[in-house]
Amino acid sequence: MTAQSAITKPKAAPVSAAGNPGGGWRDHLGSLAFLAPGAIILLAITVYPLVATARNSFYDGTATNYVGLANYKEIFSTSSILVTFRNNVIWVLVFPFVVTFIGLVYGVLSERIRWSTAFKTIIFMPIVFSATASALVWRTIFDLDPHVGIVNAAIQTASDWVNPPGFYPIDTSTGQTVAALASTGVSPGPQNTLQSSSTVTSGNSVELGLIGVAPATLQLTGSQTAVEPTQTPGSVTGLVWRDFSPTNPTAKGQVLPDELGFAGLKLTLLQSNGSSAGTAVTDAHGDFKFDGVGSGNYTVQIDASNFSSGFTGIFWLGAQSLTPTSSLNQTAQALLSVPLVDISMILAYLWIWAGFAMVIIGAGLASLDREVLEAARMDGAGEWQTFRRMTMPMLAPVLIVVIVTMLINVLKIFDIILNMAPGSSQGEANTLALAMYNFGFTGLGNWGLASALAVILFILVIPAIVLNLRRIRG
Amino acid sequence: MSAVSPAAKPLAPATKPVTLKRRSPLSAIRPSRAILNIVLIVSAVFWLVPTIGLAIISLRPESLFQQSGWWTALSAPAQLTLTNYKTLFSQGLVTGGVLDSLVTSLEITVPATLLVTVISSLTAYSLVFGRWPGRSVVFLVIVGLLVVPVQVALIPVVQEYRAFGSLTGYNPFGTIPGVVIFHVAFGLPFGIFLMYNFYSGIPKEMLEAGRIDGAGEWQLFQRVALPLGLPAAASLMIFQFIWVWNDLLVALIFLASNPHYTLTIFLFNQTRTLAANYWIISTGAMISIFIPLIVFFSFQRYFVRGVLAGAVK
Amino acid sequence: MASVTFDHVVKRYTSDVTVVKDFNVEVADKEFMVLVGPSGCGKSTALRMLAGLESISEGSIRIGDREVNNIAAKDRDIAMVFQSYALYPHMSVYDNMAFPLQMQHMKKEDIEKRVKSASASLGLANFLDRKPRALSGGQRQRVALGRAIVRNPQVFLLDEPLSNLDAKLRGQTRIELQKLHRELGTTFIYVTHDQVEAMTMGDRIAIMNAGILQQVGTPGEIYDHPANIFVAGFVGTPTMNFVPATVQDGVATASGFHVKLPKALPAGKGTLGFRPETVTDRIPDPDSSMEMNVEVVERLGSDQFLYGKVGGDSVTARIDPRIKVEPGDSIKLGLDTRTLHFFDSETELALL
Repeated sequence: MTAQSAITKPKAAPVSAAGNPGGGWRDHLGSLAFLAPGAIILLAITVYPLVATARNSFYDGTATNYVGLANYKEIFSTSSILVTFRNNVIWVLVFPFVVTFIGLVYGVLSERIRWSTAFKTIIFMPIVFSATASALVWRTIFDLDPHVGIVNAAIQTASDWVNPPGFYPIDTSTGQTVAALASTGVSPGPQNTLQSSSTVTSGNSVELGLIGVAPATLQLTGSQTAVEPTQTPGSVTGLVWRDFSPTNPTAKGQVLPDELGFAGLKLTLLQSNGSSAGTAVTDAHGDFKFDGVGSGNYTVQIDASNFSSGFTGIFWLGAQSLTPTSSLNQTAQALLSVPLVDISMILAYLWIWAGFAMVIIGAGLASLDREVLEAARMDGAGEWQTFRRMTMPMLAPVLIVVIVTMLINVLKIFDIILNMAPGSSQGEANTLALAMYNFGFTGLGNWGLASALAVILFILVIPAIVLNLRRIRG
Repeated sequence: MSAVSPAAKPLAPATKPVTLKRRSPLSAIRPSRAILNIVLIVSAVFWLVPTIGLAIISLRPESLFQQSGWWTALSAPAQLTLTNYKTLFSQGLVTGGVLDSLVTSLEITVPATLLVTVISSLTAYSLVFGRWPGRSVVFLVIVGLLVVPVQVALIPVVQEYRAFGSLTGYNPFGTIPGVVIFHVAFGLPFGIFLMYNFYSGIPKEMLEAGRIDGAGEWQLFQRVALPLGLPAAASLMIFQFIWVWNDLLVALIFLASNPHYTLTIFLFNQTRTLAANYWIISTGAMISIFIPLIVFFSFQRYFVRGVLAGAVK
Repeated sequence: MASVTFDHVVKRYTSDVTVVKDFNVEVADKEFMVLVGPSGCGKSTALRMLAGLESISEGSIRIGDREVNNIAAKDRDIAMVFQSYALYPHMSVYDNMAFPLQMQHMKKEDIEKRVKSASASLGLANFLDRKPRALSGGQRQRVALGRAIVRNPQVFLLDEPLSNLDAKLRGQTRIELQKLHRELGTTFIYVTHDQVEAMTMGDRIAIMNAGILQQVGTPGEIYDHPANIFVAGFVGTPTMNFVPATVQDGVATASGFHVKLPKALPAGKGTLGFRPETVTDRIPDPDSSMEMNVEVVERLGSDQFLYGKVGGDSVTARIDPRIKVEPGDSIKLGLDTRTLHFFDSETELALL
């Protein structure tokens, strides 16, 4: 047996009438009666509709008036439909090859472990899930909120480890600014820091009033009632507090009993040349103290890290593109810009289909002639050489089957887009099959245009039909 | 729902059962097995995460969904509860509910599966053992139909159903039989192809002996071909079951005017209001994958055979 | 060119499945050694361990002075011809033969020279561009040989290389292989289940059964002095006659005759063995003659074999083809007592 055996041609039907010369028309009648149910259904539901769809594609939306090539012209001149071609091209160029590669790697590697049955079952299992259910699963996986989506949660965990968020996060991406927090005795510093408006010398204190942080946030950090700082010789002391009294809203700049301090703020004492003379952290009442401060004028800085919001999630199912920011020209950039949602959906689809590729390739591997591979090793080929020069060429027909099957599959891709791409990015993620459904069966329904899209889809699978017929006929 | 590639291993009656476990010729060489095992364990975990995540979400109270990730349940399993399932099941067979959808899915899937299997067997029998002229052309047409997308038939079949309705008073559009017939038609090319390959492996002498013994065509089919073809028919049934069960598009169109949904339509409708109903979606999705999973684990061998026999629809 | 040593080699698949048990053989440099035995006896496993295709559970295998237990197949400097030939189906005959040389990073011109000369000597010069599937069985077999020859290996391994050929071609190839062995002057280790191949080709033969080495020796030694009943029965066609006998005072008595043993043996029961060609129509010693009831007569032209009963035991005899015998006849036959064998009833080892 060779690699081809995994994909052997079906045996030809017994050719020509063998024996039974007297059977005559009665035999044929019997055989044709067996053929009838299948033939009628196939003719009515597949063969005739093929012709009818071709006809409908030259008619208007209600399939009554002849419009010539108008539907096709519309398809190739409407940018929202042309997007579907781009997406089909992305799917066709990326998916079949990646899934075959993964299937090949898993197929080859899993043969060498003891638990290969368990492994193959795990990888293969998603194939029995509907694309609808799978899409829903992956929608949560890619959810924007790190409390819901595990991908964003994982990135957040990693990101927080490198660059932890502050106690008082300000989400600059939503238009908030650190500068807006400054109230009394505080001015915006460089790079999302805040600084005391006036300088301070050793033995004195400063009071820094902030606004715009909710009491609930302060309570989470353990902040308590603000207490006026006490001046200490040789030190710079001070207070950072929430300069807003609900009972006395106009009393800015005063430390009142119903105002809270900012606990846990990280501060830096800056010399006049801008270099650090020490660091301090505010206590629960918002008080801080820099010890051993020499002469000179100092500025107290509230560090940017206090306001860092950390990672807040990537919208994986969004329509924005991963445009390469290199020096490529615009056409090349446009060609390479792939919406993030396409990539996310391709990943989900890989999860579904990798097991299929693995099983087919695994069967191909198992049918390879063991002695040929051993002979190659005897002939001095190492493991990699044996794989590249023996396994791969002998497996090539199987790989082609997997690639072609997956290619036809993604040409018709529908459910995963409909269910996984949220409304905001579905237009950007649209494909031919989905557009055909949308034009034909949602809203008013334009059957002419939908039929034209179906015809295009059919034309795209014709090479696969030819390939199949060639294989059958040998 | 894609193609069937005919370039696949024919199911010969005598072949050994294909299982997921086959030792490769390369298995004798085992370099750095620890690394290999780690890579594959990590891969397996990655592959399991989505399913486990879905299962856990369906077992957590709705209120926790936005608060903390499902993975926190791994360290705090006390969160898990069957409330979501109880709530859904307590609705009973409310039209448009999850149980009603489950029943509708079965009402479509079971007849579509049985019909495809029987009709495919009959057609394949006629193609392989019949002696009428033009058999090979018919077979080639069927092979050509293997990869035809359902999209090309949707609109004309809706038209045909309506015409049939105005002619006879019974319009299959929006009915379960209407969906079933469409599924049968698009299941047939693969089914016939699979059974054809299998029957081609049966020695012709077996049928000839039957004919000499005086059996008619129907008896030969029933007593010889059908029993011999059981392994292939089993693969076909499992395959077809899962394909029809998982279909969204055909049901979406041909059940559009029907108050009863399939499970896939039920889930699809729920996604339109994702944030509000996530507990329904995850629980519904679990219910929808439950039956295919049982089928998969009970008949894995036949399913894999079906996959190998014709790539995948 | 090198010797090969199997030193207490064991192959175990699981703790209770041992396919090769304590295997000890020394193959001399340039020797043609045949490993023979019924299928499943462990001979192929032994060869594959030497090739590096199977791990060695215990013991050591040496090629020359080098222990190869932990050396990869490709570094053992051996070539192998497989039963299925294992030709690379996607490569031409030329590429099949060039592959091992490419793996050694040999220069292109040198590869061409070697492949050309090997293919010429094997009569493959006109088929170099063909793919294996376009070749006949015999041609494929020669390509497999060619692929081994071009490497000029220290040891040549052949795993049942003739079993896929028809009888006539097999006879020819047997002679060609012996010629090839002489020309190459390389150590050959040849595995077969066919005792005729073993007897005709081997300088020495190692007979295995059930994973155990039974006997090693030249064809003559094996034929004339089999070490036990298994070897005696395995070698020679038709099979040696075995009849139960009792020894008393230097005479062995079977159910239908008795014979004086050429050497004194202790009294007791055992199995008397004698080859069909020692039972003939010539009667050298009337004391050891026997009366056979003929059941089957096989005339082969040069020989005539009689199968029948002597007393209660089945015996095969070879007589002059000109004597007319029919089934049902009774015939008096004589036994050449010079090549008698006697086997212990318990150990089945040869006592004589």
